[in-house]
Amino acid sequence: MRENSSLTLVLNRTFRHWSLLPAVALFVALTIYPVANLFRMSVSTIEFAQAGEAWTFTPLRNLALLRADEVVPAAVRNTLIFVVAAVAIEMVLGLALAIIVAGAARGKGLIRTVMILPILVPPVAIGSIWKLLYNYDFGIFNQTLAALHLPPVNWLGSTSLALWSVVIVDVWHWVPFVFLILFAAVEALPVDVLEAARVDGATRWQLLRRVMLPLLRPAIVVALLFRTILAFKVFDEVFLLTSGGPGTSTELVTLHLYKVFFDQNQLGYGSLLSLALIAAIVAFLLVGRQAVRLARP
Amino acid sequence: MIQHARVICTSFLVAALGLSAAAIAQKPFADVGKQPPITILIGSTPWYPAFEKVVGIYEQQTGNKIKLDVVPFGGILEKARNAVRSGQSPYDLMTLDTQWTIEFYDGGFLSPLKEIDAAFELPKEVLSYGDSGYWNAQKRWRTADGGKLMAYTVLGNVQLLYYRGDVLKQAGIAPPKTWDDVLAACAKLNEPPKMYGFVARGEKGNGIRYDWQSVMLAERASVAKDPAAGDYTVTINSPQAKAALDLYIDLLKRCGPPNYGSLGQGDVIQLLATGKAAMGDVVTAAFASFEDPNKSAVVGKLDTVALPRGRSGANGAVIGNWNAGIPKNASDPQKKAALSFLRWFVTYDAQHAFAENGGIPNRSDVFTSDLAKQPRFRWMPAYLETQKFAQQELGYAEGAQVEQVLGLRLNQALIGEMSSAKALNTAAREIEDIFRKSGRKTGTLPPLPE
Repeated sequence: MRENSSLTLVLNRTFRHWSLLPAVALFVALTIYPVANLFRMSVSTIEFAQAGEAWTFTPLRNLALLRADEVVPAAVRNTLIFVVAAVAIEMVLGLALAIIVAGAARGKGLIRTVMILPILVPPVAIGSIWKLLYNYDFGIFNQTLAALHLPPVNWLGSTSLALWSVVIVDVWHWVPFVFLILFAAVEALPVDVLEAARVDGATRWQLLRRVMLPLLRPAIVVALLFRTILAFKVFDEVFLLTSGGPGTSTELVTLHLYKVFFDQNQLGYGSLLSLALIAAIVAFLLVGRQAVRLARP
Repeated sequence: MIQHARVICTSFLVAALGLSAAAIAQKPFADVGKQPPITILIGSTPWYPAFEKVVGIYEQQTGNKIKLDVVPFGGILEKARNAVRSGQSPYDLMTLDTQWTIEFYDGGFLSPLKEIDAAFELPKEVLSYGDSGYWNAQKRWRTADGGKLMAYTVLGNVQLLYYRGDVLKQAGIAPPKTWDDVLAACAKLNEPPKMYGFVARGEKGNGIRYDWQSVMLAERASVAKDPAAGDYTVTINSPQAKAALDLYIDLLKRCGPPNYGSLGQGDVIQLLATGKAAMGDVVTAAFASFEDPNKSAVVGKLDTVALPRGRSGANGAVIGNWNAGIPKNASDPQKKAALSFLRWFVTYDAQHAFAENGGIPNRSDVFTSDLAKQPRFRWMPAYLETQKFAQQELGYAEGAQVEQVLGLRLNQALIGEMSSAKALNTAAREIEDIFRKSGRKTGTLPPLPE
């Protein structure tokens, strides 16, 4: 009897391990293999010819290309400015909207539905729509300024303004996403805690600063995490709006990656740049996490 | 009564269209025999509707079937790459921007046309377009001299100088013959934001590189000394190239809208089509859209001349064509069927029909046909004139990388991020590096004083 049950135990344990195999295989095929292949590509020069692919092991060549690439510093600088500015504005606006809408007596459902719309629009359409809005001669923004007897603004053609014009589009696109996450969190705040704070004489600012924000921290961190990762990877809108110009004023790492991969057909160097971008995102998130930890009361 | 008249008119129109279609179908096009269906990769370009109509005529006449895979511009290159790198190409014919063709020639991804049929010859009337269909594998350079015919031009686009005939006439200005004439004319006509004197592309990348190179050629400047002879000494930082860049910057800043640094092809066409530009440097393929009342406010008002001469006295224009080639990894019967279509498409009648439907023919005899006398084809003389001096640029394996460099540095000079001398010196250094890594014989001129 005892032998039988220990055999069942062993079989169960073996089955448990083996039953994980499909999931592990899927993980290896979809995640580990592509990343490993990216590593392999990043230390190679890959050339295509009729005879097939030719891989040459050239890690130093790719590193030399990275060091000599004069566009990379500008791309990194712009990407950091874009990520910090866009995400910060989105978080502040998203949180403010979430608190305001949650406090509304009526129409919450309607506002939530309307707010979802920008997220549903494909980025390609967003880029095209905003390019028309920003058009110097025919865009609605400059037409409005003209109607107000104000001079037109060179939204996408000015080196000092183009990146901020792109940030505005990203904010329009992604504030609803932050809003939706934080709105759900605000709605779920314990009413008794808020009431107790009010009874104790907390002002609105104290209520927000001392009660709501600490309680919303997990949702804020989630929204911040998602938005930061997505902001690092922004491509479509910027590609359509400015293609990285004028000059290098809106050149982002993702745009440069596209040019290296697809215009210049340098797959090895492109892979090295991809790895650098992944490393930058991971480092940024680790630093962010540490900052959040340190900021905890 | 009015409705009755409308019905009669419509009936006549339908009958006339039917008759003309039948007449086209009966014309003596080449007989290519029964062929298996083929698939063509093609971009959703301004000339696509004309190509589609001519394909319809081919199907009607021959009974052979063609499937067109129409892809937005940005996706064509990747689809073509995937097709030729796979076991068997899903396409039997691919239309490729001339700049991309090099990668396909150099990689051996296309079948030389004579290898499919040794008897295949392009008619002598077909324009050469700077030998863009030929590839000399040894020199890694597009040339008929020792090169094989890998593809041929199905659409040869060159830039023309478009101008508002009515506006210039009213101002007593003759059509410009030199770039200085353009500057002088724009000084009189420039009245922003109501009317810009002259517009051309300034946006980073292919736009500014392509448009500026016409001025560069007109100043007798070049990117590399003599690629045909294997001398890749970089000459882009010559005084002539600087003069060309300074002139181009002057033209765009003095005559164009304030967003000259981000002006793309769509913007330039839009400014001309809405009547907000008196002159512009635009591709020939855009002409048809300026004559379409649904797209243009200046129907019948835009005329064309060949791009003007530079201060050196030379004319310059860059050819930006689309070539059709047959993937090496297509099956033999499919290759033969694709070549049959190519043989048919290059005939006079097919090219005539292509032009009638809004395309740019590739045969000189179509430009001197009855079409040339019709007002809607008034661009033809300027186009034919341009063919005398238009050149293929960046026709070497490193062309795409060189374009990236020029597209950025020229734009930076235009928007004032760096001086023209510094932009050209930087570009020269970077291009020399590209050539050196490819193993070319290269070097560079002494830097321009910054």
